[in-house]
Amino acid sequence: MLSSLLAVSLCLLTSFVRAGSDYHERLLLRPLPQNALLASFNFRSNESSSSFERQNFRYFPRSLGQILQHANTKELHLRFSLGRWDAESWGARPWDGAREGGTGVELWAWVDAESEANAFARWLTLTNALSGLFCASLNFIDSTKTIRPVMTFKPEGNHPNMSSPNLHLLHGTLPHEVVCTENLTPFLKLLPCKGKAGISSLLDGHKLFDASWQTMSIDVRPVCNNDGSDCVIEMEQTVDMVLDLDRSKRPRDNPIPRPLPIEDIECDTSKSYNSQDSCFPLVKTSEPSWSLSEIFGRPIKGACPITGEEGENAETVCLNVPAERNVDIKTNGGYTEVPRGEGLLRCYKLPSRDDFDISLPEQTLPTPLLLPQPPLTAARSINGHGQERGSVQAVITNPSDYPVSLIYLESLPWFMKPYLHTLRASIPGAPASTNPIKETYYRPAVDRHRGTHLELLLEIPAHSSLILTYDFEKAILRYTEYPPDANRGFDVAPAVIRLLPSDGNPNAPPVFLRTTSLLLPLPTPDFSMPYNVIILTSTVMALGFGNIFNLLVRRFVAVDEIEGWQPGGLTGALRTRLDKLKARWFGKGEKDE
Amino acid sequence: MSLLLRGIVLLVALVTFTSAEHTSNWAVLVSTSRFWFNYRHLANVLSLYRTVKRLGIPDSQIILMLPDDMACNPRNAFPGTVYNNADRALDLYGDNIEVDYRGYEVTVENFIRLLTDRVGEDMPRSKRLLTDDRSNILVYMTGHGGNEFLKFQDAEEISAFDLADAFEQMWEKKRYHEMLFMIDTCQANTMYSKFYSPNILATGSSEMDQSSYSHHADNDVGVAVIDRYTYYNLDFLETQVREPSSKLTMGDLFDSYDEEKIHSHPGVRYDLFNGGESAARSRLVMDFFGNVQNVEVEGGVGNETAWQEELQAIERMINDVRRHNESLAALPEAEPAPAAKAARPSLNREGAARVNADGGWSKQLAGAAALLGCVGVWAAGSWLESSK
Repeated sequence: MLSSLLAVSLCLLTSFVRAGSDYHERLLLRPLPQNALLASFNFRSNESSSSFERQNFRYFPRSLGQILQHANTKELHLRFSLGRWDAESWGARPWDGAREGGTGVELWAWVDAESEANAFARWLTLTNALSGLFCASLNFIDSTKTIRPVMTFKPEGNHPNMSSPNLHLLHGTLPHEVVCTENLTPFLKLLPCKGKAGISSLLDGHKLFDASWQTMSIDVRPVCNNDGSDCVIEMEQTVDMVLDLDRSKRPRDNPIPRPLPIEDIECDTSKSYNSQDSCFPLVKTSEPSWSLSEIFGRPIKGACPITGEEGENAETVCLNVPAERNVDIKTNGGYTEVPRGEGLLRCYKLPSRDDFDISLPEQTLPTPLLLPQPPLTAARSINGHGQERGSVQAVITNPSDYPVSLIYLESLPWFMKPYLHTLRASIPGAPASTNPIKETYYRPAVDRHRGTHLELLLEIPAHSSLILTYDFEKAILRYTEYPPDANRGFDVAPAVIRLLPSDGNPNAPPVFLRTTSLLLPLPTPDFSMPYNVIILTSTVMALGFGNIFNLLVRRFVAVDEIEGWQPGGLTGALRTRLDKLKARWFGKGEKDE
Repeated sequence: MSLLLRGIVLLVALVTFTSAEHTSNWAVLVSTSRFWFNYRHLANVLSLYRTVKRLGIPDSQIILMLPDDMACNPRNAFPGTVYNNADRALDLYGDNIEVDYRGYEVTVENFIRLLTDRVGEDMPRSKRLLTDDRSNILVYMTGHGGNEFLKFQDAEEISAFDLADAFEQMWEKKRYHEMLFMIDTCQANTMYSKFYSPNILATGSSEMDQSSYSHHADNDVGVAVIDRYTYYNLDFLETQVREPSSKLTMGDLFDSYDEEKIHSHPGVRYDLFNGGESAARSRLVMDFFGNVQNVEVEGGVGNETAWQEELQAIERMINDVRRHNESLAALPEAEPAPAAKAARPSLNREGAARVNADGGWSKQLAGAAALLGCVGVWAAGSWLESSK
């Protein structure tokens, strides 16, 4: 019951965020089990498409707007992610996974162009421009990392010419890309309040990149009325992170965990070894205490002045805790608290100038926190051994009471070559005749030009798991194609899974899920090898050449064949004279005897 | 008469003086080492980044190359931070940092392309060195090197000859006015020994056959955090050059080098500089490490009419554009043209093709039929042969 209430409250949240005005921001805070806290930031700005066309930017950032216009991009989705969402303990993903990406950087966009070649050229322009804007190596998204998904992604915006063949969807991932402060800096600069006021003042690289899981996303889409008029270009930026409360509360200058003195630990006295100096710490059942300034390092610095004054748009901070939980608000300014979602959600209107801090004391709650359960879980791994081939196994589990259809998308690097004929999908416990693969879209890799694109439409019955396997072969790279840290292995992009709505409603919000990325070990040479080869070759060459050269230009004769040859120069000549004399005298003497 | 002459001489002197000045400052800060144990090289570069930013060079005029990620490295006990001192007083990574080239992008090719501006048309402005013949450039490099080479990411090397040729190309393309080349690596002074382009002032941390040493380690970070030469350069820049109006000269900086403290022999090369040692030593530290915005009016006051004409031409251009925009806004019906364009289907759509893996009877029957046909042909042939 409680969990369903919670789910309702989240839908409510997303729905009232969608109501129209030009700029919104909202922070949702939800404590998770195991001392974790989900902080979900959402920023949205609108620009009417006519003023966007004329480059009259108000809330939409000019830097990004001009890039989109230059590259003829109609819809853009950019993701920076780090870490893994622990669905077992944290439940369903925020935004149903629609605002997150695979580990590293993921980008997909609808580009308007008359031909495929033109679309790809504009895509390269886009990735290069974005790489400059976001300080990320997005320019590495070339033809080998670009695919054109068929079923997985649907445009979120309303495109008047959606059916025309001129709108091209391109998708690229960089699973190895690190996400760090230099990516957050430009992200904050796109916001109207630039991280100086409003909820964005909490965003700090030191905390964000210390999180157990974090994802930053940027979505740009045109949104129109039902009759296709009155279009606006909507930009949505989200930052979702799961903070470990204990970790975040450590001071920044002393973040290394040190053992507590034994007096401060609650010990399990039932253990036989429990004594003055040995202790088995008890697991705390109470909800931990925390406050915004403790975990983010600073309070919210007042409301962003351009957010709405009235109604739901003005309530920018929402706390998703049970009604029994005590909450203290620390601020000198005036604020308003509004209960929503049947008491499970408390929303606050921020004071306009003063600092605003939320503080929750340690408390034992009668009912534990109930979280919505994930509709699907997925795990993917590389099996096999050796340097030549391997296999991939993906296990997708449907815990729900009804069968689900899903789309599974893989974008593999060219040096990982799958054998499509080994693709098997099996459901343990199901009759052998059922084939869960309903549709297959496939584009094989071409060495050094493009990667493999595999897209499957799968169906999983209720309460069962699907095991998808295929074998692959590892290519041997050229010496110059190895990165400097080749021995680390090569990252393979996460698989993207989209859950299709059970009722077939095309307007239902999309549900996404991504597996973790894979690390593929490839045969790596000993990089001193070329030098060894060069040195050995040079030696062999020198020896061989020297001998042949000697044979060609020199004549070999015996010593006595040389006329007037005297070994050893002057002394040699003297010695021979001496020898001759000796031979004469002693030779005579011998004869005398 | 003599007064007039003196006035002319003064004017000429003034003109030469102003023409010797620069109008923009750029910094190219390069670390060339990957891997966690080379933390200090990234800290070196980030320290310089902080310093030049503090002295006024904006992020848009700093090209920062970081080959590895230290701040968000899983081994870093201080996430999102890089320190250059064990006292951890200053977080070099901070809240506002723009890294232009990072990770695998830091290669010899990209570095030389950056210097010589031989880049693709899609290269964003933030990754380009948009200098002209009035730009002073600070080039700072650090990493592992040897006699006349510097390693990039343990995978490739740049040689002193490559670097000298790249700088010569920059000079030929009028891409710098004066340049300060600073390098902290083993046998650093060999790296600038091959330079032959004018107006380069070069300094390095150690002579041939000398190593460049780290200064100290932080036990919680677990590795050395800064190199000696960079440490004492920063010591001078941070304690002596307090504000952008500082009048300290490069000579003061070079005189501050103490071989006892640096544990190697830093070198300075003056001979390429216009005016030699005395001119180079008299250049202000702020000429390379700070941002000076000198505005120069070309042509003086003489040519007023041309200036007015240009203004009028610009005004006409603005009016034309405005009229064009208004005419576009007045004609919303001008849309059918793109619609007609859209109607044309794009040929050869790339992308994944649908695979039908139907192992059904139809395919097997077709295969069996083909086999049977072959057998029939063979049988008929042999029958015809035998019946002859």
